[in-house]
Amino acid sequence: MRIIVPIRQILDPRGFTVSRRHERIFVNREEYIINPNDKNALEVALRIKDTGGAEVIAVAVGKPRVDDALREAMALGADAAYLLTDEALAQTDAAGAAKALAKAIEKIGDFDLIITGQETLDTGDAQLGPWLAEYFGIAQVTNVREATVSDGALRAKRDWGTGYAEVEAAPPVLLTVAPGANKPRYPHGGRIMAAYREWEVTTWGAEALGLDAADLEPLTEGRGRTFPPERTLGERLTGSPQDVAADLVQQLRLQHVIK
Amino acid sequence: MDFTLTDEQRMFQKMFADFAEKEVKPIGEHTDQQEEPPLEVLQKAAMQGFLGALFPEEQGGVGLDFVSYVVLLEELAKADVTTAMTISVHNGLAGKTILDFGSAEQHEKYLEPMAFGEMIGAFALTEPAAGSDAAALESTAVRDGGEYVLNGNKIWVSNGGIAGLFVVFAKTDPSAGARGISAFIVEKDTPGLKVGRREKTLGLRGLTITPLYMADCRVPAANLLGQEGKGFKIALRALDVARLSLSAVALGACQRAVDEGIAFSMEHIQFGGPIALKQVIQNFVADSAAEIEGLRWLVYHTAWLADQGEPFSREAATAKLLASEAAFRIANRMVQVHGGYGYMKEYAIERIYRDTRALPIIEGANEVLRFVIARDLYDRAGLKIKP
Amino acid sequence: MDFTFPKEYELFRRMVREFAENEVRPLAKKIDAEHRVPFETIKKAAKLGLMGVPFPRKYGGSGAGETGYCILMEELGKVCTSTATVIGAHTGIGAMAIYLDGTEEQKEKYLKPLASGEKIAAFALTEAQAGSDAAAIKTRAVRDGDYYVLNGSKCFITNGDIADIITVMAVTDPSLGARGGVTAFIVEKEFPGFSIGTLENKMGIRGSSTAELIFEDCPVPKENVLGQFGAGFITFMKTLDIGRASLGAACLGGAQAAMEAAMKWAKARTQFGVPLAQKQSVHFAIADMATEIEALRSLVYRTAWLIDTGQPHIKEAAMCKLYGSEVASRCINRALQIFGGMGYSREFWMERAFRDARIAEIFEGTNEIQRIVIASNLFRELGLRIAP
Repeated sequence: MRIIVPIRQILDPRGFTVSRRHERIFVNREEYIINPNDKNALEVALRIKDTGGAEVIAVAVGKPRVDDALREAMALGADAAYLLTDEALAQTDAAGAAKALAKAIEKIGDFDLIITGQETLDTGDAQLGPWLAEYFGIAQVTNVREATVSDGALRAKRDWGTGYAEVEAAPPVLLTVAPGANKPRYPHGGRIMAAYREWEVTTWGAEALGLDAADLEPLTEGRGRTFPPERTLGERLTGSPQDVAADLVQQLRLQHVIK
Repeated sequence: MDFTLTDEQRMFQKMFADFAEKEVKPIGEHTDQQEEPPLEVLQKAAMQGFLGALFPEEQGGVGLDFVSYVVLLEELAKADVTTAMTISVHNGLAGKTILDFGSAEQHEKYLEPMAFGEMIGAFALTEPAAGSDAAALESTAVRDGGEYVLNGNKIWVSNGGIAGLFVVFAKTDPSAGARGISAFIVEKDTPGLKVGRREKTLGLRGLTITPLYMADCRVPAANLLGQEGKGFKIALRALDVARLSLSAVALGACQRAVDEGIAFSMEHIQFGGPIALKQVIQNFVADSAAEIEGLRWLVYHTAWLADQGEPFSREAATAKLLASEAAFRIANRMVQVHGGYGYMKEYAIERIYRDTRALPIIEGANEVLRFVIARDLYDRAGLKIKP
Repeated sequence: MDFTFPKEYELFRRMVREFAENEVRPLAKKIDAEHRVPFETIKKAAKLGLMGVPFPRKYGGSGAGETGYCILMEELGKVCTSTATVIGAHTGIGAMAIYLDGTEEQKEKYLKPLASGEKIAAFALTEAQAGSDAAAIKTRAVRDGDYYVLNGSKCFITNGDIADIITVMAVTDPSLGARGGVTAFIVEKEFPGFSIGTLENKMGIRGSSTAELIFEDCPVPKENVLGQFGAGFITFMKTLDIGRASLGAACLGGAQAAMEAAMKWAKARTQFGVPLAQKQSVHFAIADMATEIEALRSLVYRTAWLIDTGQPHIKEAAMCKLYGSEVASRCINRALQIFGGMGYSREFWMERAFRDARIAEIFEGTNEIQRIVIASNLFRELGLRIAP
């Protein structure tokens, strides 16, 4: 069983503040982390590896610094890592990145599963999963919370309204994992050391992937940023503590938060 | 200049020391570990007149002068800091305030029960938003016929768990800032008064420190202490006495800590002899003793000023500042002399270390005292400074 | 000269910090109040290689050296000194002695389960009348066939009652004194004649246990002699040196956390109409703390580097322990003062940090002993030997 996990690296949101007044993002501490939702995806892959054995391969596209995200993925348990980077790959958009990842996955060889995070925390793109499924012409299961493999069949549990749906599929399949689907593990200290000191991240440029500048030309163009309208405060309940509590329960009932 | 105690003061000193050694010292460990107020000792102290230490004899007290009073607290603190604090709050903050500012009827009603230990006194000034900043009080007292209706919350009330009466500060005129504060004697059973859950603290674990909640708490108008609007003055005077008292407690704690350190260093053998033979231990002891000697005369001098009827605000602040920091510093050093044993609850120094850490914080954090001292000095030099 | 951490250490620190925040901090108040060792944390730490951070991967450790180990101690020191103490006594001195002086067989048999956290270690040197004066130990080991028979008792042994494997110092030749007459032994808790005495009731680090260990005709196989026979003094000195550097790191974490908490409080708490953070006394307190913390950080990680690169480090390790424990106590004390009554209350963690911090000036050699170590190393450079 070979599982490919495409991961993305984002600026750590704990390191910056967004100022509505200045219409700017102030970066206090520039630190990059694995997109949390991709960490959920990696965790799903690693749990499959833990129970039935699998080769987990992490792939990422972007600037050279994305190397750190891949080494962290190896520290967490990935067996190999591929970084797709050069000047053109560093500049491309989500569609270009998906193209590069597809080519890299082809180049790596056969696979059984592709598991990735449903969306990124920074730009909120949710297109990588569908894009790859389309490219390879395989089934995709979205909004996955848990997945297991037994007797060659994949069983995935996905969010379904207020409950869950269990889906079964035969690999190759692509899964996109729901944000917060699980609590990702901590990397083992020894694997952290080995990830930097002993293990290699394979690096491919656009040329090695058979892509040229035209393939990676961004399809989208950023024209500016605006803030969503300011949220108005909800209703303020006043009165004695007893009255406020009673009101609150009433309101929660009306909104079907509680029964 | 005469630095000797009078015969009477010396006699008292001996009596205090005997009582402290015999009755108080043995309960220190229990009081701390069980977190129990020293109720039995308080009853015994009452029999000796120590709970009316500052009251005149006709009101059930022994009429101690301040010099004898600080000697009392010093001796008690040598035995147990918690017990000394309990008695100090009762006498200095509550008792003395009622004595100085109370009416003849209030004296009649409260002083004897206090002196006999039937009513332990507490002092409720601090509030969540008004710690060192007393003028920011939010508690209110509104006159309603023959009563005042009190509302508000107090925190960090020492003796709160055992008190029969509280000297409570609240604003009768919220628009008037510090001049709108008045003081009241509030009995524990007054409807609308609720003593909250005890604070769990680092040390002073037998001193019951509680919050106090007042919800339409109706106090007879006769329980107004002094006049309306004079509460701030009363509080300041009470704090002067409290700071002087606390400096005496700190002094006693210093002495006990050094005594413990000296005893341990003579018994504990390292490198072939008692550690008392090591220069570094000797230096610890010598530095501590030098500080104590200086403090003792500062504390006694401040008490003497109070006895002479001189102002002693700045001196009390100075004594509290220096003594509280010295107490913790010396306790800390003596823990070090004890080495690993000093970290164990079997040894008294472990408790003294935790107890003394309260002293730089309570009865006016030392940062506030520094301000009080500086303000007084700049005032004389013609400059008004604000906190 | 390059003062940046290699990237593996940055990732390692992030992992340890998250572990400390999410797994260790939530238990800190509880284990102090309940006076118990956090076994559940030890189990989780073991899974991440955190019970053997400095040891090579081939022994089941993380292979992160003293630098990695100091990072662990710093991050644990920020949230729970008890947990740092349990892991520190296990790794930094208990297992460390075996790593430094054990034979390949001993490492295979003992270091492996210790580094992977399956078993817990302790280090037993101190006795009632031999604390700082380690040469005065009385526990005896007498040869009897293939065994050495141990008799005596040890006190103030961190992890003593929870350890599976204990490194014990005993006198093998009273006529030779500390140099030549003391030998280190590896003792398993199942050995006959070994028992636990009283447990100490301490001011702080109450989530770690401190026990008396009793040896009554306890036979230890001769293959369990650790290091050279008669050279126990060298083994424990080497071990303690390394333990001291990491203790400085735990203190660094404690000091940093106290300062940060004091700053947050000062920003939120209003007195006399302004936040405390607008008071100059607070500014100066914070500036002094920050300066000392920065100096300590440099000292700790430079010493870790000396150790990792095999350079002499005895004096520097003693400085880490001495300065670290005093900076931590000072910073926590000043932070507590900024918190005022809130700092004195057991509702808030500063009170616990204050009690916990005090031990660092005492254990693993009191600060007076560290001063002697530093001074004797310095005078030795002038060709003078000084007596304690």
